[in-house]
Amino acid sequence: MADEAEIFSQLKQAVMEGDEDVAVAAAQAAVAAGVDPQRAIIEGLAAGMAEMGRLYEREECYVPELLVSSEALYAGLGVLRPLVIASGKAEKKGVAVIGVVQGDIHDIGKNLVKMMLEVNGIEVHDLGRDVDMERFITATQETQADLLCLSALMTTTMIAVKDYMPAFKTQLPGVKIMVGGAPLNQQLADEWGADGYGENAVEAARVAVRLLETK
Amino acid sequence: MHRDHSVKGKWVKCDQMTSQERWEALVNRRPTDRVPCLQFMLGHTAVVNGRPIAKIYDDGAESLACQRNAMALYGHDGLIMHGWANAGGAEFGGEIEFPYRKYTGAPLMKKNPVQSEEDAWDLRVPDDILSVGTMPIALEFSRLQYEAGLTVTLQVGSPLTWAGSVYGEERLMIWMLKKPELVHHVLRVITDFIRRKADYWIDRFGAERLMAFDLGIETNKLYSPKQFETFGFPYLREIHDHLTERGTAIILSHICGEQNKNLPLWARLSYGKRGMVSVGKEVAISKAREMFPDCVIMGNVDPVTVQEGTPEQVRMLCRACIEEGKDHPGGFALMTGCEVPPQAPPVNVDQMVKACRELGRY
Repeated sequence: MADEAEIFSQLKQAVMEGDEDVAVAAAQAAVAAGVDPQRAIIEGLAAGMAEMGRLYEREECYVPELLVSSEALYAGLGVLRPLVIASGKAEKKGVAVIGVVQGDIHDIGKNLVKMMLEVNGIEVHDLGRDVDMERFITATQETQADLLCLSALMTTTMIAVKDYMPAFKTQLPGVKIMVGGAPLNQQLADEWGADGYGENAVEAARVAVRLLETK
Repeated sequence: MHRDHSVKGKWVKCDQMTSQERWEALVNRRPTDRVPCLQFMLGHTAVVNGRPIAKIYDDGAESLACQRNAMALYGHDGLIMHGWANAGGAEFGGEIEFPYRKYTGAPLMKKNPVQSEEDAWDLRVPDDILSVGTMPIALEFSRLQYEAGLTVTLQVGSPLTWAGSVYGEERLMIWMLKKPELVHHVLRVITDFIRRKADYWIDRFGAERLMAFDLGIETNKLYSPKQFETFGFPYLREIHDHLTERGTAIILSHICGEQNKNLPLWARLSYGKRGMVSVGKEVAISKAREMFPDCVIMGNVDPVTVQEGTPEQVRMLCRACIEEGKDHPGGFALMTGCEVPPQAPPVNVDQMVKACRELGRY
């Protein structure tokens, strides 16, 4: 039987190589060996994705590699997460709602942020793309989310972020709001009253964790 | 020709050339009176005409009228064109939505034509390319350009960007790593389609009247330079070579976003009788000058500042661009680094032509 360290290493490597089959096999091996599934996620799968994030920030890998790694990550999670939930030991740092604003269908960035938030132990409710203001508000209230994350990729749709903000501030008191997307920047995020901004998915996850810790 | 105007209480001398004369001089490597202002301005021309942005894309006659009216209003020197970055999918059977809804600024792909591996392998160039997707609109637009005596424009990609529209970008990226042969098959079909389209335009309107342009969003925020080299460059090169061999007057590449690592490959492309290269704010004008010594460099005022900034902030960016590019031996034109945002305040857009008049005189 493989030892824990070896299984964690296999899970991490499977994610980094984007190999779904190996990720599933290693996750099943973890279950068979009686490894704590929560630890297998954190020290195996999530560790692999975190390493990919570091490589992306150093421009040693690019979005296609991140996407392939995320497929392996989710394949492994498909085995391990149900066990964590069933054990009642699931730990989460907070709850987030995420979506791409109205009129915008570019969702690669949003999907990467969603994945990095999940890797960091945040429960994420994904509203998809082309999401209007009312849906963001309703979903945030219904899920009692701590964090609301908006993405916009176009100069036309970044205006939606600005337009939504006053309603979010009045109708979602106490909810931290993060924004991101190619045309946005820290200065605009500050001017429009957002609590956080991420230049990329890795940074967005760091900012999200910080916001939740200080909430 | 425009009248003298005042900038901060100082009168600026009027232009010595019309926009048409300036454009022709730039294209034919002759001196211009000042730095030309070429605008990549589509949706914004509908806004200043009080028309839905969708009309720029779904109605050739209205699109041309809006763009010409905006040109007369602002006094810029071009460009007039029909196309958008995320094009291509509709031509292979995908569904698009024209931008009539709030916040939409360009056509959206509602359903990509390739949903499965089988779809990808089945992809073929349609028998009658002129009847598919938005081709009838593009053809009508070009016919009207031709009849009006204007440069006729033709969108030719880029193939990799079109592949994103055919596949969906996320699926494309995953298959680039997992099923590269499938991606090459689709790129082959797209390239064949573009070649046939180009041949039709050249035969009908004449290569000497044509400006072929590609909008390439192969940014290094998404793709590695190696991925661009493998999946983007070979097909772009084939199209540029074909256009050049057929005597195309102008080939313009809009190199969108952060593409510093891709520039050496873009610089290896052929650019017809006259090459023009537009770069985003992420690529320094000095870098573009170095990489494309013989091409007109166009750029690279930050579009977000044009939308969200003040006229003075726009003016400062224009000044920096003009100072950096004005003396480029291949030619220089002031332009935004990507499309003028449709909802940009007209006073900010107006600053660009004013800056050329005040700061860009030769």
